[in-house]
Amino acid sequence: MTSTVLFYLLSVVSIVFALGVLFNPNPIFSALYLVLTMIGMSLMFFNLEAYFIGGVQLIVYAGAVTVLFVMVLMLFDLKKEKQAFTKGLFSSLLKYFSAGALLFMISGASLMSMGLMTEGAEKAEPITTKQLAALLFTDYFFAFEVLGIILLVVAIGAVTISRIRGGTHAK
Amino acid sequence: MLSSMMMEVGLGHYLFVGAAIFIIGMLTVLMRKNVIVILMGIELMLNAVNLTIVSFSHFSNNVNGQILAFFVMTIAAAEAGVGLALAVTVFKKFKDVKISFFEHLRG
Repeated sequence: MTSTVLFYLLSVVSIVFALGVLFNPNPIFSALYLVLTMIGMSLMFFNLEAYFIGGVQLIVYAGAVTVLFVMVLMLFDLKKEKQAFTKGLFSSLLKYFSAGALLFMISGASLMSMGLMTEGAEKAEPITTKQLAALLFTDYFFAFEVLGIILLVVAIGAVTISRIRGGTHAK
Repeated sequence: MLSSMMMEVGLGHYLFVGAAIFIIGMLTVLMRKNVIVILMGIELMLNAVNLTIVSFSHFSNNVNGQILAFFVMTIAAAEAGVGLALAVTVFKKFKDVKISFFEHLRG
């Protein structure tokens, strides 16, 4: 019962704040709405008994990534944008229509698969972090190491890209 | 039938929320001009996919799904870093971060 109430509350909160990211013309407010959306999603992970993923979501997204966004926005000193959205009535109508059609199709597919997987077929105890760690350091060890290398490459690449003066006529 | 569907939160409910947030992220990418807000839209889409993966993992009692969600999160953080570095480059050259400036960023 608590989980049901929590699900509806969190889903409404997440969707409303995600709409805030979409429709607010000021990028700073978009970033702050993004933080609230991420917190809502992480609580939803807690509701799904994925405690480790929820905690990582809270640290990585709501902590690190959105702080990075806000810091870059502060660096640029952007004001409220006069034209935050793309031009063209026809193309925006087409975009909204195609997004609506996609949502309709996905929700139709998930509605049809509603009865396929029900909770409590054999309700085992929730997945623990210990299980997760054991799997990560045995079966997925190679992927884990590759991920470390990717992060190193990205760190070097980000520094290199932001030092480029830009264009073919760079001095 | 409808009330029982409302009361018992199953896989479909989570899939619907994931789809809604994914669509909102997609619309953010399509509609906005600011590069940083577009990156936020990409983050929303990745997060919605994560919600879908974790809900599948929960309802089928499968540990592998959570590992996949963990990997997706790491890749998303890396992608945000590179994207913001590109945004800094665009800003240094054009003093604004519109997506249409990217076509002038050769070399």
